[in-house]
Amino acid sequence: MLQLEPQNLLIEETFASALSPNYEFPSLDRILTDFDFTTYRISTPEDKGKILLSIGIKCWSDLAKYGSLELLKEKYGHYSFIQILSEGSCEPGYDVSLYIDINNCTLNNIEKAELVCQLSLLKRNCFAAPFLKAFKRYEVLSRENPADPNNIYGEDSVAATNNNEEVLKLDYRGEESIFIKPSNDRVTVIFSTVFNDETDKIFSKIFLQEFSDARKRSIQKAPQVINSHKDVPLEIQHIEKPTGEKTYITFVLFPRHLNTEDAKWNTITHIQMFRSYFHYHIKIVKCYLHQRMRYRVQSFTKILNRAKREVDEAELRSERKTASGRRFEVR
Amino acid sequence: MSQSLKPYLTAVRHSLNSSLCLQDFSSQLVERHNYPEIENKRSPEILLNPLHISRNASERVLIEPSINSVRVSIKIKQSDEIEEILVDKFTRFLTKRAENFLILRRVPVEGYDISFLLTNYHQELMMKQKLVDFIIEFMEDVDKEISEMKLFLNARARFVAESYLNMFD
Repeated sequence: MLQLEPQNLLIEETFASALSPNYEFPSLDRILTDFDFTTYRISTPEDKGKILLSIGIKCWSDLAKYGSLELLKEKYGHYSFIQILSEGSCEPGYDVSLYIDINNCTLNNIEKAELVCQLSLLKRNCFAAPFLKAFKRYEVLSRENPADPNNIYGEDSVAATNNNEEVLKLDYRGEESIFIKPSNDRVTVIFSTVFNDETDKIFSKIFLQEFSDARKRSIQKAPQVINSHKDVPLEIQHIEKPTGEKTYITFVLFPRHLNTEDAKWNTITHIQMFRSYFHYHIKIVKCYLHQRMRYRVQSFTKILNRAKREVDEAELRSERKTASGRRFEVR
Repeated sequence: MSQSLKPYLTAVRHSLNSSLCLQDFSSQLVERHNYPEIENKRSPEILLNPLHISRNASERVLIEPSINSVRVSIKIKQSDEIEEILVDKFTRFLTKRAENFLILRRVPVEGYDISFLLTNYHQELMMKQKLVDFIIEFMEDVDKEISEMKLFLNARARFVAESYLNMFD
């Protein structure tokens, strides 16, 4: 499995079966987890035909500040049988709940598939709000100050000088954060991440190096990736204190990633998975190396076993005599 | 095989051959004890001069012979921090499985990555020539394995990065 899927498979399966025509209405109570300390709960508290889907996200307070709730209302609000509960009215311990009345669902099959897809992307939809906000701000800025097409590297442009622009910050895993900064010709997304393991830290350097080089080598359409260990990038120096332990990865999103609605959503879907993808692949590599060592150790044991003296069975069983010809056993 | 590796391995092979001249020897200090004399080093008269064989600053072998045991310690080449990690992981992996290896020491001698302890009992159980072969082959393979792992790591990282960035189209 090379790519991580943005949707949650268990939610997808649950709702695909719940919306299928011959659904048997069992009572549900499932707690599911996702990346970045996200928890879902699927339950049927009152009636077996009404499913409550709750989501708990660690950085919900940040997301709510940047308008996640409004985005969720836009995404799910037009379905008449879905109630969006938040703050006081949602399930205790979670941040947002969707109360879905299966019995009153009047969609056709294509719309049902679309709804299942949207429900399984609930986490992405929550995380999308700050990105969309930054993209909107970028559009405003780019209209005010169109980017100079001759200045392709953005040197001395407005982007370098508008330090007063608000940086959106998500503390999505406590210590680790995402920073998003819009500008007139780009949107900069910065991840900060911490490695608990020294080995991971060194492996991450190789990976990040390749991320940075990939664009130079072959993939010109991709966002530019800049990485720095320890040093805080310029864009966020005024809000982030240097700790000396964090690794910063900067993605520079160019207009081509933001110009159409599809491109925007594609960018959001993939960029919010970056940390999971990155850490996941470091773990995979370690796993593979471990397997390889296991195999190698086996082959070393084989070589050593070859050195063992072969005890000849026949010789052992044959009668032994002393030099003078006397036998050991008494006949 | 590179130009300098062959003489290095030949030197190690010959030194091992000549130092693997072991006999059963009971402890002079404690009655009815019999242990590898190189490990406690309390009777200097039965220890022989240790041998250093160095290929370069980062690769060397230490052979410490005694009357009933020989200790062979190997320092594996580590040119950057990735190789350091790989060597560390690999030797840790090996030493954890020391019981399968009979001659492997659980803790390497200080300053070296991995140590073998060959006693007269091992020599009774195994053929001397083959034992030497094993150590030589081990030295060759470890270097090869480490560099292959490093190449793999880089190739994998490149592949992962490209496949992630390709999705942004």
